[in-house]
Amino acid sequence: MVSMAMRQTPLTCSGHTRPVVDLAFSGITPYGYFLISACKDGKPMLRQGDTGDWIGTFLGHKGAVWGATLNKEATKAATAAADFTAKVWDAVTGDEVLTLAHKHIVKSVNFTEDSNYLLTGGNDKVLRIYDLGKPEAEPQEIAGHTSAIKKALWCNNDQQILSAADDKTIRLWDKNTKEAVKTLSFDASVSSMEYIPDGEILVITYGRTVAFHNAQSLDLIKSVDAPASIHSASLHPEKDFFVAGGDDFKLYKYDYTTKEELESYKGHFGPVHCVRFSPDGELYASGSEDGTLRLWQTAVGKTYGLWKCVLPEELSLENSEALYCPPAEIKA
Amino acid sequence: MKTPVSVLRLPRGPDPNSRGFDPSSPRFLALCPTSVPSSSSSSSDEEEQRLRAELRERFLRTLLLMTGKRVRFDMHEHVRVHARFGASDIDVLNLQVSDLETPLGVQREALLRCQDVIACSFEV
Repeated sequence: MVSMAMRQTPLTCSGHTRPVVDLAFSGITPYGYFLISACKDGKPMLRQGDTGDWIGTFLGHKGAVWGATLNKEATKAATAAADFTAKVWDAVTGDEVLTLAHKHIVKSVNFTEDSNYLLTGGNDKVLRIYDLGKPEAEPQEIAGHTSAIKKALWCNNDQQILSAADDKTIRLWDKNTKEAVKTLSFDASVSSMEYIPDGEILVITYGRTVAFHNAQSLDLIKSVDAPASIHSASLHPEKDFFVAGGDDFKLYKYDYTTKEELESYKGHFGPVHCVRFSPDGELYASGSEDGTLRLWQTAVGKTYGLWKCVLPEELSLENSEALYCPPAEIKA
Repeated sequence: MKTPVSVLRLPRGPDPNSRGFDPSSPRFLALCPTSVPSSSSSSSDEEEQRLRAELRERFLRTLLLMTGKRVRFDMHEHVRVHARFGASDIDVLNLQVSDLETPLGVQREALLRCQDVIACSFEV
């Protein structure tokens, strides 16, 4: 419908004072969907997912927060921090619900679908499963990695666990036997991992590569090399696009089927550490070393959230309420 | 020359004075039960709520009593300082103090970060 080509206007979410290292979306709830960001300033923030509006800050960690996640309903949040704890929060009130002491920096947290169990992983190389109904009970532990765990995710209906570590392996574990079912080895450290339950796809980044693997067999489906070192990538829910960001500060958008680079966007003032598609695929969020989160439209020019499709004849109206973002951003 | 996509406004940033989670938001009101006890709530919940309210009131009254007094603050990393207590902010994130005695001298006005404070003591 919009025939003239539009230039992407990213929405900048400010508030963090140090690099944003992780971000996660909730599922779609009756109140929309939500976004949590992990930051080295120790203060993870909750935002409305489609607008980027700040909702609240989870206060309590005494060190950099390396990982953050929301449950599907966005009623609970979990964070992993350099203060050797993982915390569970009430994502409606912002109150801290649980502090789970670890023996080293915690890097990753992940809820099961029913929000009853929390998986943690970090620098002590051990995966832990906490029963949130019995918080005083000792967690189940899964050992095996020989270096710090970067990311740990539930998969296969929460019956298995995928973990990526600095030992350059990704391992698939059975949660009951606690044995490694499969191991993938790489030449470089894996920088990020995303699990797509619908279609059982694992998105992995390492070096300049974005790779897509079958989440059950761990077989390679396809891989793409980007122009720069990539820190994070995300596959669109409908699997038509994927986005990636890394060292050169840019966001790249690719066609998943043809592997063709479609667009690249400048905007961040530092390396991009994390990028994720929203659950409805209408936008993707990126977190950067520059301390900001940015929201990017999948379909540039479409009316959605704070973006407004303005037809050519409306551009000259004096009473137009639209605000035009200048090409050069003014940073406060 | 492409036209940039228009936006209605920029995303709202954090409120510098509060940690957010607005209790009047539709989501909060729908998902957090009000303080009116329902007939099905157990007596132990009510008792716990009553105790919590009592503790909170004692805490707030202690803050009031502390105002203007010379208070000793025991903080992390074995830090112990004295200062005249002024006020706390609404979320008890920062304490406003005057004449803070530090190893580097007396600071006329200062803010102490609550998460760094372990205990405060003062003469009633």
